[in-house]
Amino acid sequence: MAHGTSIQYDPVAEIGGGAYGTVYKARDIESGQFVALKSVHVRTDQNGLPVSTVREVALLKRLEQFDHPNVVRLMDVCATKGANQETKVTLVFEHVDQDLKTYLEKAPAPGLSPDPCTVLLITHLNPCSQDLMKQLLCGLAFLHSNRVMHRDLKPENILVTSQGQVKLADFGLARIYSCHMALTPVVVTLWYRPPEVLLQSSYATPVDIWSTGCIFAEMFRRKPLFCGESEMDQLGKIFEVIGLPPEEEWPTDVTLSRKNFPTLTARPITDFVPEINEHGAQLLLKMLTFDPLNRISALNALEHEYFRDEATSTQTKS
Amino acid sequence: MSHVQLSTTLERLVARKTFPLQRRTGVCRNLFGPVDHDELNREMKEKLREISERDQQRWNFNFEANTPLDGDYEWEVVTADKTPVFYQDSVQDGKIRVPVQSPPDSALPESPRADALDRLAVPESSSSPCAGEINQENRTDKINSGKATTRQLPCVRRKRTAAPDNNTHITDFYVKRKRPADIKPSDMTACLLSKSPIQVEQTPRKRIR
Repeated sequence: MAHGTSIQYDPVAEIGGGAYGTVYKARDIESGQFVALKSVHVRTDQNGLPVSTVREVALLKRLEQFDHPNVVRLMDVCATKGANQETKVTLVFEHVDQDLKTYLEKAPAPGLSPDPCTVLLITHLNPCSQDLMKQLLCGLAFLHSNRVMHRDLKPENILVTSQGQVKLADFGLARIYSCHMALTPVVVTLWYRPPEVLLQSSYATPVDIWSTGCIFAEMFRRKPLFCGESEMDQLGKIFEVIGLPPEEEWPTDVTLSRKNFPTLTARPITDFVPEINEHGAQLLLKMLTFDPLNRISALNALEHEYFRDEATSTQTKS
Repeated sequence: MSHVQLSTTLERLVARKTFPLQRRTGVCRNLFGPVDHDELNREMKEKLREISERDQQRWNFNFEANTPLDGDYEWEVVTADKTPVFYQDSVQDGKIRVPVQSPPDSALPESPRADALDRLAVPESSSSPCAGEINQENRTDKINSGKATTRQLPCVRRKRTAAPDNNTHITDFYVKRKRPADIKPSDMTACLLSKSPIQVEQTPRKRIR
C-alpha cells in the first residue's frame, strides 16, 4: 500500500455498470435451495484489493463457519478483475423472499394471507413480535460477540423466511461500503439511527440496539417510530418520545448543544406503541435509552421478562 | 578501559563510513537469490484463473461476463421489485448513490458529468422530475405484495406538494449528499489506506436539500 499516494482514481461513475435493477437468483436443482448474487464493486490499484476489503471478506467467511440461524448464509465469495481498476466481488447468498419491511406491510391485510405468523400478527400481536424480536436479538448477540456491529439495521436489512425465520443481512460488508461511502454521496435513512450517531459522537455496538428498539416499536405500530427529515429533526422526534436527556448525559465530544432542543419530558411509551404489553414496554425503553452505556445489550435483552411471557410461543428457529 | 571503548567507537564510525549501505539495509538481505517477477506473475495469473474456473464451475455462472451457464443451478433474472433490497448490487443499492446535483424537486442537472452519474444511479429517471422517486427502495410497496398498498405514514415531507400519490417513501427522508466532481486523489487514498477504520465509518455530515 506504500505506493498508494501516487494512485490516480477514475471517476466514481465508472464503478459498476452491470444491468441495473436486476438480481441474479438461482435454484439448486439438487437441493431446491435458492441463492442470489450480490456484487460489490471495489476500487483497486496495482496492489490489488484494499486490505480492508480482504479483511472484511475473511471476517464474513469466519462468521459463516458458525452457521448461525439468524444470519443470512454466505455461500461463496468470487472475485473477478473488472475493467479499469475495479474488482468485482460477487457474494453468493442464500435467497430469502422477503424482508421485514415487506413482511410488516403484508401483515395488515386481515384474512388475505395464509401465513400463520401473519394471522397471529393481526389477531394476537404479541407472540409474533416476541418471536421475531427474539430471533433478531439472537442474531445481533452473535454479531456483537464476534465484535461486529451492523450499524445500519433497518427492516430492509432483516430477512424473514416463509417459515418466519429471521436472518440478519448487510452487516460486515458495511466496511466495504464505507470505502465507497467516503467516495460517494451516501443516502441512508435516519429513522433507525441512535442519538450518538446523529450527534456524531463516538459509537459502538449499542447503535444496533437502538435500531432494534425502533424496529420493535414498528412491529406494533406498522409504521416507523421516528421519521425525521434531518439529523436535527430526527433528534427532535426522539426527544418528543424519550424526553430531553439531562445535561450530564449529553455527550461532551459533540458540537451540537443540548440548548438547541426544547425541554421535553418523557411521555409514556404506550402513547406511541399502544398495543405493546407491560414487559414489552419495559424492554423497549431499555433499548431506546439515550446514553449508549446505559442501553441494554443484546444478550441482556434476551434475558428480559418480555421473552418469558407466554413461554409457549415459538422458540428461535434453527 | 577507556582505550578499548574508544577503539570500538572508532571502529563503528569507520564501519559506517566504509559500508554505509550495509548499515541502512539492516536485515534486508537477499537470501534466496533474485526474484523472477515474470515467473511469479505467471504463477499468480494461473492460480487466479484456476480459482475463477472453480467458481464458474461451482455456480455454473460466468462472473466475469455476468452471465449464467448450464448446470445444477437454474439461474433467472429477477427484477429488483421482486426481491429484497439487500440483494441489489452495492453501487445500485440505495445506500450508495452517485451525486445528485440538484434537489429532487427541480429539473435534472444538465452537465454531462452529472448526467452520466445520474443515469448510473437511476437510469429510468431521465424523464422524471424527481430522481428520488425512482429509486428501488421506493418500490418496496410493490415487493411481493401483489398490489400496491397505500401507506399512511405520520410524517409527509413538506416539499412534496405535487406528489403523484400519497405514498410516503423511506427515500423521501434520505439525506442527499453530493460530492464535488474534482475529488482529490489524496482524499480517496486516505480512505483506502486509512489505518483507522473510524475515519471512514463516520456518519455523513453534510446535508444538501
